[in-house]
Amino acid sequence: MSLELTDEILIPASRDVVYAALNDPEVLKECIPGCEELIKHSDTELEAKVVLKIGPVKAKFGGNVILDTGGAPETFSLTGEGSGGAAGFAKGGADVTLTEQGEETLLTYTAKAEIGGKLAQLGSRLVAGTAKKLSAKFFTNFKNKLSDEEAEAA
Amino acid sequence: MNDMSPTREERVEKLKGLGSSRKRVEDARFTQGKGNYVDDVKLPGMLHGDFVRSPYAHARVKSINIDAAMALPGVIAVLTAKDLEPLSLHWMPTLAGDKQMVLADGKVLFQGQEVAFVVAEDRYIAADACELVEVDYEELPVIVDPFEALESDTVLREDLEAGADGAHGPRKHHNHIFLWEEGEKEATEQVIDSAEVVAEEMVYYHRTHPCPLETCGSVASMDKVNGKLTLWGTFQAPHVVRTVASLLSGIEEHNIRVISPDIGGGFGNKVGVYPGYVCSIVASIVTGQPVKWIEDRMDNLMATAFARDYWMKGKISATKEGKITGLHCHVTADHGAFDACADPTKFPAGFFHICTGSYDIPVAYVGVDGVYTNKAPGGVAYRCSFRVTEAAYFIERMIEVLAMELNMDAAELRRINFIKKDQFPYQSALGWEFDSGDYHTAWDKALDAVDYAGLRKEQEERVAAFKRGETRKLLGIGLTHFTEIVGAGPVKNCDILGMGMFDSCEIRIHPTGSAVARLGTISQGQGHATTFAQILASETGIPADSITIEEGDTDTAPYGLGTYGSRSTPVAGAATAMAGRKIRAKAQMIAAYLLEVHDNDLEWDVDRFVVKGAPERFKTMAEIAYAAYNQAIPGVEPGLEAVSYYDPPNMTYPFGAYVCVMEIDVDTGEHEIRQFYALDDCGTRINPMVIEGQVHGGLTEALAIAMGQEIAYDKLGNVKTGTLMDFFLPTAWETPNYTTDFTETPSPHHPIGAKGVGESPNVGGVPAFSNAVHDAFRAFGLRQSHMPHDHWRIWKTANDLGLHG
Repeated sequence: MSLELTDEILIPASRDVVYAALNDPEVLKECIPGCEELIKHSDTELEAKVVLKIGPVKAKFGGNVILDTGGAPETFSLTGEGSGGAAGFAKGGADVTLTEQGEETLLTYTAKAEIGGKLAQLGSRLVAGTAKKLSAKFFTNFKNKLSDEEAEAA
Repeated sequence: MNDMSPTREERVEKLKGLGSSRKRVEDARFTQGKGNYVDDVKLPGMLHGDFVRSPYAHARVKSINIDAAMALPGVIAVLTAKDLEPLSLHWMPTLAGDKQMVLADGKVLFQGQEVAFVVAEDRYIAADACELVEVDYEELPVIVDPFEALESDTVLREDLEAGADGAHGPRKHHNHIFLWEEGEKEATEQVIDSAEVVAEEMVYYHRTHPCPLETCGSVASMDKVNGKLTLWGTFQAPHVVRTVASLLSGIEEHNIRVISPDIGGGFGNKVGVYPGYVCSIVASIVTGQPVKWIEDRMDNLMATAFARDYWMKGKISATKEGKITGLHCHVTADHGAFDACADPTKFPAGFFHICTGSYDIPVAYVGVDGVYTNKAPGGVAYRCSFRVTEAAYFIERMIEVLAMELNMDAAELRRINFIKKDQFPYQSALGWEFDSGDYHTAWDKALDAVDYAGLRKEQEERVAAFKRGETRKLLGIGLTHFTEIVGAGPVKNCDILGMGMFDSCEIRIHPTGSAVARLGTISQGQGHATTFAQILASETGIPADSITIEEGDTDTAPYGLGTYGSRSTPVAGAATAMAGRKIRAKAQMIAAYLLEVHDNDLEWDVDRFVVKGAPERFKTMAEIAYAAYNQAIPGVEPGLEAVSYYDPPNMTYPFGAYVCVMEIDVDTGEHEIRQFYALDDCGTRINPMVIEGQVHGGLTEALAIAMGQEIAYDKLGNVKTGTLMDFFLPTAWETPNYTTDFTETPSPHHPIGAKGVGESPNVGGVPAFSNAVHDAFRAFGLRQSHMPHDHWRIWKTANDLGLHG
């Protein structure tokens, strides 16, 4: 099952701050909904364990993500794959663009994923809807985290 | 004692024999929740089994780690292919001459395929343990398109020897299964090449699933002390399961008892042998306790016998005046990963021969290429009568396309090509002899009932109004005149795994005049306990209310091939009538003795033997029954029982005329069934109310299939419609009202002239709904749009035709 998500979010922080935060495993672990573990093996390799609930299917997903930081901090992309055991598996990637807008950063992303297993059988309606929600939650968390840090710094 | 008062009419009515709309005896327990289904079977110490299933459609299984699962309290065992191999049970034969994995052996070939069987103290622990089994998969390329499969280098069935023949002859590619052909290829091609008019079309009947309300399941109980295996299960053919279980397990048949209790819908989904049955048997032998396996809805839709998936390329030729001269059909049949398509051994494409339909076609050819893909195995299911649904859809679409090509009214095109009444028995160009039919009468009755001429006029006005922008709704008139072939079948050419497709009935009359009869068939809701008693009532004069019908216990029922493909009435119904006649023959001798006359001095009258010319001297069946146990009659054994095993001389050929009137909103793709008229001719009608129920049910299945239901796969081999969120099952909201009607053209070779009716409404319903959709867009040039006709696809059709402005 193919999933495609695209969105843009305005983050109240400078681009360098945003880029650094996106590469900070502590920040990511806090912001990703259901994230139990996030290990940065190198500048370009991440491993994560995330508990996901999509409709009646709840599972712990283990995944690996590789970052392509060639165009940083303006653009970067990531590819990854994850397995949730009986619940299914996923692989995909995302292209992220960070554009300076004054003191804020416009983050645009396009993510594509192939989903298989029980998750996919629930139908694209449920999975796409939940993926959108989780993605929105991540960015809300991320924005708030950065706002808090800015407020602390100020 | 001679009784005085009842008139002949009253006696006939009391009998509730043939023709009576006798209320169903089964319904009391079904409507009160007091049925006895497989999941109601509860035995002391019973364990529960569940499957670890593959999320991948095609992958190698590198390793299976059961440690975490076994450590969970309450888990008794986890079986894998390695455990079944010493018993040679890791693979099993299918009902199509192929073999299939019981548990993944080195690789998996479809999403949902069984990988390991977890046995635990309860269903919940088993489910939790399934999630703890760690399987290491290595993905392989997935093939979900049968045309791609025949070109691909990817070998799906690595277990089959390259270059060797399959069960049905040579295989032309590693993903090819068989080529089945019938008819005259060259003669047909010649006729078509030189014809005045030819219509060519690819007609696709999509993959769907019978989705019975009760899913599949079994309870296996191996009694080690007595050496007996008892197996309850959702089996449409319990005796065949017993024979297969014996062959696979090595336990002799007399030590195996198979019981099909109440079954909540079969529809062909419950004919084959599933890994769940085999695993529950092995687990019971291994653990020494009863083991139950009941699948859930996703398991059922993903992994059990699907229906259809036939790509049918047709060419039909005719004269300019519309007389059909030839028919050519090539089918690419998508069978999934294993050929588990339960067909009679000689017919890997079932009775697809019927694709010439109700029409007198002098020459025809059909070729079917079976293909392996990464999908669940199966194919023959869902009231299909062994591929008859596919064949009927094919010809009823080809007729419509030909009518467009000829610019002729489709009802008239059918009429001038119907086989005429006096041509029966009719030898079809593809081999079968159709027993009887009167298509013209049925057709005229149907068209008259719906005011066909008036509908066409209304449609013409609607098209004009649409073009003027006054309405956004189109009107479609869906026509179908189907002929189908049921009642498998003559032993000389019909067998399942070598068992000839006869059937049986055994009757015993008790001293006080009531009776018990056991059959080799098994009802899954068809109402056999009601209708077969009616046959016996008419044959033996014992009221139907005094006859118990039993099916499904192989320890007591005579051997039969089960119930599917509308075969019960044509075959077991015939056996029932013949056994009833044997009873009556012996009863005649007893009556003659009691009345002190010669056998030939008696005549049969409803429920008694009467002395010819002396109507006041008679003996009722009740009196005769008592005498059978009470009198010492010279030359006649005591007791009153009979058994008949019936080998039908031919199949039977029910037919029907259906008209569907449909409104379509081109902007939303929504449809509304304004009217559905169904005329069925199933020969002698045993119980009109039961027939009407069958027709309502089959038409509703047809509505589902045509208008939205499907088993869809994406290119990764994921089942996209694995839950009832996406798999369309009509509720009362979606179901229209149906008008049912009938004609009665008895079968000349059947003892009571009955043909069977269960499959017909699905056979005829789907083309009626689909033709209505096509007909609505006919004026705008639509020739073929594949089913299902859900809102999105209809919207897309309207869009492609430029109707959205």
